Amino acid sequence: MTPAESANAATSHRSVDILVSKLRRRQVVGSREAALETLRVLRQVVSKARFSNIDQLVSLIKSVGRRLVEAQPKEHSVGNTVRKILHHIREEYNAASKSNGRKAIKMDLSISNFILQGQMRKQNGALKSEATITLKEDDPRDPDSFARALKPVLMEAIQDVLDELETVYDNISKMAKDHIHPDEIILTIGHSKTVEAFLKSAGHYRNYTVIVAETGPSYSGHTMAKALSAAGISTFLVPDSSIYAIMSRVTKVILGAHAILANGGMFAITGSLLAATAARVHSTPVVVCAGQFKLTPLWNLYHEFGALDFADPSSVLGFEEGNLVDKVEVLNPYYDYVGPEMVDVFITNDGDHPPSSVYRLIKETYDDEDHDL
Amino acid sequence: MAPPPALPVHPPSGPHHDSKPPKKSQKEMTKAERKELQERQRAAKAEAKASSQPSSSTPAQKKSNKPAEIVPRPPPTPGRAPREATRGAAAVAHETAAGANERGLRIFSHFGLPKAVSAPKGDIHPVTLRLALQFSEFKIVGANARCIATLIAFKTVIQDYVTPQNTTLSRHLMTHLSPQISHLVAARPMSVTMGNAIRQLKLEISGSDIDLPEQDAKDLLCAKIDQYLSERVLAADGIIEENGQKKIKDGDVILTYARSSVVEKVLLAAHESGRRFSVIVVDSRPLLEGKRLLSVLSHAGIKCKYILLPSIGSIITEVSTVIVGAHSIHTNGAVYSRAGTALVAMMAKQHSIPFIVCCETYKFSEGVQLDSFTKNELAPPGDRIATFPLTKPRESLTLANSPHLEVLNPLYDLTPPTSITAVVTEVGIVPPNSISSIPVALGRLL
Repeated sequence: MTPAESANAATSHRSVDILVSKLRRRQVVGSREAALETLRVLRQVVSKARFSNIDQLVSLIKSVGRRLVEAQPKEHSVGNTVRKILHHIREEYNAASKSNGRKAIKMDLSISNFILQGQMRKQNGALKSEATITLKEDDPRDPDSFARALKPVLMEAIQDVLDELETVYDNISKMAKDHIHPDEIILTIGHSKTVEAFLKSAGHYRNYTVIVAETGPSYSGHTMAKALSAAGISTFLVPDSSIYAIMSRVTKVILGAHAILANGGMFAITGSLLAATAARVHSTPVVVCAGQFKLTPLWNLYHEFGALDFADPSSVLGFEEGNLVDKVEVLNPYYDYVGPEMVDVFITNDGDHPPSSVYRLIKETYDDEDHDL
Repeated sequence: MAPPPALPVHPPSGPHHDSKPPKKSQKEMTKAERKELQERQRAAKAEAKASSQPSSSTPAQKKSNKPAEIVPRPPPTPGRAPREATRGAAAVAHETAAGANERGLRIFSHFGLPKAVSAPKGDIHPVTLRLALQFSEFKIVGANARCIATLIAFKTVIQDYVTPQNTTLSRHLMTHLSPQISHLVAARPMSVTMGNAIRQLKLEISGSDIDLPEQDAKDLLCAKIDQYLSERVLAADGIIEENGQKKIKDGDVILTYARSSVVEKVLLAAHESGRRFSVIVVDSRPLLEGKRLLSVLSHAGIKCKYILLPSIGSIITEVSTVIVGAHSIHTNGAVYSRAGTALVAMMAKQHSIPFIVCCETYKFSEGVQLDSFTKNELAPPGDRIATFPLTKPRESLTLANSPHLEVLNPLYDLTPPTSITAVVTEVGIVPPNSISSIPVALGRLL
């Protein structure tokens, strides 16, 4: 079997097919869930893949990634996970080949590389291949030797990403007590699991109040309010309409994100823009809690319709208003785009970052050549 | 200044004399008992407040009220005291377990929760009883509708009134009307429009001629009421209709929030005069009034879009003008209106879109309010008006208070004058900072 054939075989791997259809049917929703599923699939693909040089492996993963992203382009964490894995694979490969006395992949001298020079901290610490393996690319006598040598470190690297993803809420919540002081009044909207974990963890140390806006038409704020009050945090549930009235008494706005974009803006649940703007008008800080897997090398410059994604209108104007339904246009956009000027800080599992340094995080986490999968 | 029309003003510290006698020691009470006590205190406070200042309070009142609000009640346990202190004192606060049990914020405690209409006190006319029920059930909503309904009801009350022996109509009628008014206020806090109208009515009653035969005096009063309604409300709406529709051009996209009777008239008039424009109706809980406006407009053949308030960020760029109504307007130009209006105004300002308020001059309220907290009203909790989508399973919603969780549905908010472009009144289109000069121009008719 030629390597190209094996790549094809892996692309049409069953687990890939299953995830593609699940994403397409929206059976896998939520950025963390999607990222986890993607990782599991990639782990299987890598473990079964046959390749004899690094380019084959990269193009194989890219083709799997492309299929997954096309299945659900609005679930940005899928693409992000693929990019992250590619980045790790190259890193491991570079380290291994360097230790073999070979030259690493040629790096063009550019501003982006120049920036990277100062930030090798993660790369230096976490590498698995500590000069213990010998790599032979394109060995004509034993085409699988390359894969055999590299696979164990790759699997370990993937496992690391998986571990990071599984502990993302804990790591974000760790910082909660440094951000919330006693007697604060926090406003949040909708139901973000990250924010929920963050607030609950702060509740162990501090006595404070959360005001949850209902966030129609999903009214997911109700779920959030229930969860928080069950954890013993004093909670108020208000309609979206009173966000402005209440903002003058709020000390911090804490939001979740769907995806963090390269310019420091973000896609977040509808209503985030409203809350963030009201916070700006009242000079209230806006804090966004999000895992690193939401960092997305994308831009949103030209349209206001968040991610151009719409949910079903029947929750806005139901069929009980039968005689209206066919006369009016009903819109229910899923996400808002919140610009970088609206956000004060992103709290990630990798520390706190201002929106202005998100581009640097993205440079650090992904390789430039993977931005388009 | 607005003298409270109905009842003698209680001393502002009134709400706080409560609950001292029954308080044995809160440590001995169970959590439920404590909660009940707190609820009672809150209700008593709200009641006292509602009856003491039904219309806008004078600045002097406000000033004396505020410190009273902040003063902690007699501290039951040391742990609870810090929660009651102001935020400034928060730094000193040491939380205890008792503090965690506490139901959060005091800053909402003065919002009066509407109660079921209590047993009428005194001699209440059946028309008033009915009206009070309609108010409390939100069957009659809107500043204009409530004012009109009240005045029409009072016409019946006045006609059915018989002056007792040894007194005159001009002296006694008001004591007959006062319990009617306080019954209405018990059902729902009085709107500014009702306050203004009732003040005018009082003036007419006290000014009516003693020598006039009783029936003539009553007829004269009813005629005055009719005159007030037609001049200050209906004719005013007519002029606003004309003024307002000048601001709508062909091809415009007009955004409006919730439902205002005046805005509805302006839009319909503009449509009838042949202008082609489309309307975006923005709506939000607690009342979702926009649906009614939507059905009226779409039946008239106007092209409509309907969205909920959180989605406004996506659609605001398409809008050419925002037109909304008002509950009342303050001398500094701040508009007190349905909750959410301030958010719409803010978004419009952000995108440099003109924000126009349609408001009759009888809605002017003297005095200045600085935030939406000093005066507000809560909608009843739960889903009595069926505003949640039917697609949403009931059990996933939080409709009632539970431990640590309180559901608040404020009905109004205050739009700062800085985000208002113009106010359309029957005396012209004025910028918000000129509102204070209108009563002077009208010869202090308010």
